[in-house]
Amino acid sequence: MDELLGLKESFRAEVASVQNLADLQNLKNRYSGKKGLLTLQLKSLSSVPPDQRPQYGKTLNEIREDIEGRIRDLELSFKEAEKERRLLAEKIDISLPGRPSHFGTAHPLTQVLAEIKAIFVSMGFSIEEGPEVELDHYNFEALNIPKDHPARDMQDTFYVSDDVVLRTHTSPVQVRVMEKQKPPLRIIVPGKVYRCDSDVTHTPMFHQVEGLMVDTDVSFSDLKGLLELFIHNLFGKGTPVRFRPSYFPFTEPSAEVDIGCIFCAGKGCRICKTTGWLEILGSGMVNPRVFEMAGYDPEAYSGFAFGMGVERITMLKYGIDDLRLFFENDLRFLRQF
Amino acid sequence: MRISLNWIREFVAVDAGPQEIADRLTMAGLEIEGMEKVDGDTVIETEGMEKRQGEMIFEVNVTPNRSDCLSMLGIAREVAAAFRLPLKLPSTEPGDGLPASDISVEITDQDLCGRYAGRLISGVTVGESPAWIKDRLEKCGIRAINNVVDVTNYVLLEFGHPLHAFDADKLAGRKIRVARAGKGATLTTLDEADRELPADSLLIWDGSHPVAVAGVMGGLGSGVTGTTRNIFLESAYFEPTSIRRTSKLLGLRSEASYRFERGTDIEFLEKALNRAALLMQETGGGTIHGLVDAYPEKYVAPATEVSYARVNALLGTGISRKEMLDILGRLGMKTEDKGDTFAVVPPAYRRDILHTVDVVEEVARIYGFSNIPARVPRTVLSDGNLNQKEDDLNRIRDSVRKTGFSEVINYSFMNPADLDLLALSPADERRKYITVMNPLRQEDGAMRTTLVPALLQNFMHNISRGVRVIRLYELSKVFIDEGGQLPVEKMRFAGIFFRDRSPSIWRQDLPAFYQVKGSLEALFEELKTGDLTYRMSDEPFLHKGKAADIYLKGKKLGCVGELNPSVIERLDLKISKPEVILFDLDLDCLLSAVSREKKYSQIPRYPSVERDMAIILDEGITADEVLDHFRAFASEFIESIELFDHYKGKNIAQDKKSLAFRVVYRSSERTLTDTEVEPLHKGLLDHILKQTGGELRGV
Repeated sequence: MDELLGLKESFRAEVASVQNLADLQNLKNRYSGKKGLLTLQLKSLSSVPPDQRPQYGKTLNEIREDIEGRIRDLELSFKEAEKERRLLAEKIDISLPGRPSHFGTAHPLTQVLAEIKAIFVSMGFSIEEGPEVELDHYNFEALNIPKDHPARDMQDTFYVSDDVVLRTHTSPVQVRVMEKQKPPLRIIVPGKVYRCDSDVTHTPMFHQVEGLMVDTDVSFSDLKGLLELFIHNLFGKGTPVRFRPSYFPFTEPSAEVDIGCIFCAGKGCRICKTTGWLEILGSGMVNPRVFEMAGYDPEAYSGFAFGMGVERITMLKYGIDDLRLFFENDLRFLRQF
Repeated sequence: MRISLNWIREFVAVDAGPQEIADRLTMAGLEIEGMEKVDGDTVIETEGMEKRQGEMIFEVNVTPNRSDCLSMLGIAREVAAAFRLPLKLPSTEPGDGLPASDISVEITDQDLCGRYAGRLISGVTVGESPAWIKDRLEKCGIRAINNVVDVTNYVLLEFGHPLHAFDADKLAGRKIRVARAGKGATLTTLDEADRELPADSLLIWDGSHPVAVAGVMGGLGSGVTGTTRNIFLESAYFEPTSIRRTSKLLGLRSEASYRFERGTDIEFLEKALNRAALLMQETGGGTIHGLVDAYPEKYVAPATEVSYARVNALLGTGISRKEMLDILGRLGMKTEDKGDTFAVVPPAYRRDILHTVDVVEEVARIYGFSNIPARVPRTVLSDGNLNQKEDDLNRIRDSVRKTGFSEVINYSFMNPADLDLLALSPADERRKYITVMNPLRQEDGAMRTTLVPALLQNFMHNISRGVRVIRLYELSKVFIDEGGQLPVEKMRFAGIFFRDRSPSIWRQDLPAFYQVKGSLEALFEELKTGDLTYRMSDEPFLHKGKAADIYLKGKKLGCVGELNPSVIERLDLKISKPEVILFDLDLDCLLSAVSREKKYSQIPRYPSVERDMAIILDEGITADEVLDHFRAFASEFIESIELFDHYKGKNIAQDKKSLAFRVVYRSSERTLTDTEVEPLHKGLLDHILKQTGGELRGV
């Protein structure tokens, strides 16, 4: 029995000096190996007197389990530490840049157009298109702008021939759609338009969104309500909106729509020319002459139309100060959006 | 138009300050675009009002329908209506017992001239105008010349009616006749240009010759000079359309034609004439003679009958009958209540009031747009429009965006010479372009038939500014002249790719062609277009050996390939041998192939068996050809074949290459065993080797 207790004591002393897995392996061999101290004790069990044998066996077993358990635990912790060391040895420089894989960007005009379209689609408008090279008839005549009308001066027109123009606005699509579809009508028409003008504030091509709503009982009050809703969606709920009388041959009454200057909060600055207001939309009640020419009964139906310049809205939204940037297509510009 | 606020105050005693007046006018439809403080006016000292320091000039944006507002009087009328104030006019009575004029007036073409009035003023001294006239003209942007010309301009600004002064002694036969030019008429105008006059243009003739282009410009020969003593002053009404046409044909615009073509006041023209005659006498002395006035048919303004309910229905308002009539009265219109309706007779200066909506607009703008309630429209729900095309375009944009392409938008114009840059053949469809008659620059004279030249420009723009990773695309229309009245508009989707070879920390050395092809393949997969085939392309602007035409269901979708080095040479690029990839697709064709169907198919239940084979082949055999042979080998168990390696170089003969394929075998009903797959794979290998003449690459 004393021998067994001595064994326990000696293990306790030896295990304290184990430094690594190799030491541990030696210790393991010394105690549990084929000729290990424990194994020898087990083999010599038969030489123990039979009356002491159960007690001796029990004690031996306890000591063995204790020793083997300690060795297993140590083995595990040494292996764990070894793994940690290996991983640390594989350390990389996490500060190196990632493999460059930049997404591209949609053109800022496309992004704002998408916003505008989404707002109107959510209000039940559908999107229509029409030709960019257009008949004079649709671009002017059918919109109540006959030849030799001073209103033609409002738009510098590119001519392809006497009867064919580059459309100066998206309004001709109104008429094309009315010729095909019966009311009620709720459409918007985004697209490119052209005017013979090029300076700091004009490009010969730009983008418009035209809108048209026709039904049996549409009033100027509806026009105000819908456009206010649109503007609040696009520029934020609190944006001041004002409607002031203007003139377009294809609408009457006609209104320009201004928003409170977003740069100076209406106090007056360089961008709003000190007026505190920024013009962003043209609108009005569809002129009955236009209905007649499109084949709608002006007594039965009324409606409103509106049009906006996408470049201007984009400049206001993103704080862009030079119109020409849109068509230079400099990646240092495009990638900002 | 520049408007003097002090001048306005002579007609209407408005107390409000400049800002309030500007706001009220703007909200009544006369937008004040600018306000400019100038030196004080020397004249104004209205009774009961203190003399104002300084003077305010308004820049007014007058819309084309409001020709009546092209004067101080016109704006004053609007101020009077907006502020409910009376209007007062200066005296225009030349007095009684005037000597008769010996110049007669006759209108031949009454369809183009509704009234022609004039006065002879004899014994006038032509000289400098007094300071107050010159001052006002200059403030309003007109240069002072001499008292006669200045007075006509003064009255033009004041009353909006253009006048013309002839040297009465140069009118042959002391006679004025108003008639069309007819054939062959010529005139040297005041700007000293000899002009051939269009046959339909209206002229003022004396007894023998043309002396003025009516409403546009006077003749040099009959003009007022420093020695002129006797003046014949013209005040007439000309048909707007005719004036506009003549002015356009002659390329001649003047303050007079600007007003005549928008419409003038046929009734008021007499007062304007008298006012000018009096001012001329005041500034140059002389005797005013009696009126000569050819006015064949007195103007009767058309009456419009409007229903009160209609006005409120169109505006969404509840304006009372009394208020409507009051508003119209303030605007100088005669109204008559007729129960449910009312009749409106506009003054002669408001020829734009013809229909119900014209009246509605007048009521609305004076009532105030801001007083009209805003109501979100109530309307029947409709099934809406899925806007499928929009959705597909967004998916295309999003897909290419994720592979690094940024969108550009270019002008729709092109220089036809760009087609030569691309070396397009004379028969190429892209040679059928239309031209613009009045381009801003000759180089922008055509509508583009291809997006490629603009993309090349975008590339050049960026590279010359030091951008080294360039991936751009555009979705836009091109315009092909197919002989119809309008060109055919087709949607194209094109892009350009460039990556320079400067060292990068992480290697990306696959050929650029495959990178772009990969982006397109990802897009086609996203759109579920179905299988595409690639054939060598013969697009002249692409590299003969590194370009493919893409076919979709037998139809040519477009091309992708490296830019032809000879095009690069012509671009004058500062980089040697750049690898530039272009693609150009028919967007309509692509959209038509988009499949929106989404259908579940079962995920395989049984495991697959994978086998690889590497084959050494003649270099000329394409991967597609080999894959075709794979596909031709019939077996229900071959699930997929993937080309996973392409190798040339060490251990492979010079004119050979190695392609390695992974074949996946699977049954949908059970687990395949190696003993089943082995003979199958062997058979497939034999088939491929036989068809391609290749040999198995030793492992």
